[in-house]
Amino acid sequence: MVPTLSMTKAMPLGDMVFIIVAFLTLMVILKHVAFGPLTKALDARADKINNDLDSAKKANEDAAKLAAQREQELADGKDQASQVISAAKKSAKDQSEALLKTANDQALSLRKAAENDADQLKTEALASAKKDVADLSVTIASKLIQKNLSADDQRSLIDAYLADLDQQ
Amino acid sequence: MDEPTSTFTLLGLTFNWTTIISTLLAMSIVVLVAVLMTRKVGIRPSRGQNAIEYVLDFVRGILGDQLPANLARQFGLYSFTLFLFLIVANEMGLLLQVKMGNGVTYVKSPTADPLFAFTLAIMSLMLAHGTGVKTLGLGGYLKNMFFEPYVAMFPLNVVEQFTNFLTLALRLFGNIFAGELMLNLLASMAWGTHLNGFWIILAFPLEIAWQGFSLLIGGIQAYVFVMLTAVFTAQLSGNE
Repeated sequence: MVPTLSMTKAMPLGDMVFIIVAFLTLMVILKHVAFGPLTKALDARADKINNDLDSAKKANEDAAKLAAQREQELADGKDQASQVISAAKKSAKDQSEALLKTANDQALSLRKAAENDADQLKTEALASAKKDVADLSVTIASKLIQKNLSADDQRSLIDAYLADLDQQ
Repeated sequence: MDEPTSTFTLLGLTFNWTTIISTLLAMSIVVLVAVLMTRKVGIRPSRGQNAIEYVLDFVRGILGDQLPANLARQFGLYSFTLFLFLIVANEMGLLLQVKMGNGVTYVKSPTADPLFAFTLAIMSLMLAHGTGVKTLGLGGYLKNMFFEPYVAMFPLNVVEQFTNFLTLALRLFGNIFAGELMLNLLASMAWGTHLNGFWIILAFPLEIAWQGFSLLIGGIQAYVFVMLTAVFTAQLSGNE
């Protein structure tokens, strides 16, 4: 068998001890030099990645929440704006209607007053005309009575009368 | 095979200089590379950190495929060390082999030594068995090892435990050893006794090709060794 080939001499037990001791020493050295620090670094990195992922997830959730909130606020704002606009429209309409109504009323009352004035003037004018006609008739009658008239007289009378009229 | 070796004895134990020097060299390279790559370790990786993190991730991937999460974490450091060490040890001999005048090769891939491969295999399997006992309790561990899926499987299961050990060790040793043997043969062919120039021209591209192939083999064997360790651990702790 193969192993016996080089073990024909004294079984080098010392080598076995040496190899095992050397290996264990190497293990201890590597633990301090490489394995320990590397494991720590790997764990730290894993932790960091986990934390980063967690915080990224949280940030995402927060952002989504904020976005929803903003959207809600925007919708509310739109509602409010349309309410304000419709209220403004309504009040403007009311106001204009009220203005029109008062204007109509005033115009109506003005017209009424004007009509009244006109009526009054007309009646007054008629009254004064009546009075003038009466006065004139009386005057004519008195003139007629004052003279028993010839044709000349009549003519002169009429002339005088006309002159009177002209004077008036 | 019958290459001379240089040994010394200490406290009644025999030590082989080749193994000691090669192992220490491989260790030093691993430590050097690890230190250079992890000079600045941070959450934002530097280039070196990125590279060694990739290795760590790769090893964790092997473990994660075979073992439950808690065992995979426990085996992280062991498998990481094993993988780095094996890949350096496997490839080292492709680049550098030092043979002294007395015929002793002092520096080569330590994994080309069967004893080295067996030692690592024993270590890995001891860990796997220990994990089995720890996870299932002694009774559960024995039952899981020998009487699953049914009692009649007992003889096969016993054999399997030995073959597990042998395949783990021999696969590593065989691949690396064969690779280096071929390299040495090609190298000695280049310095053939006659028609010198011709043999060099013939051997050079073959050597390059074989080195490239062995590079691949060495990486694969490091991967396979780590993966089999994880697989045996999973089997022995009832996590198949």
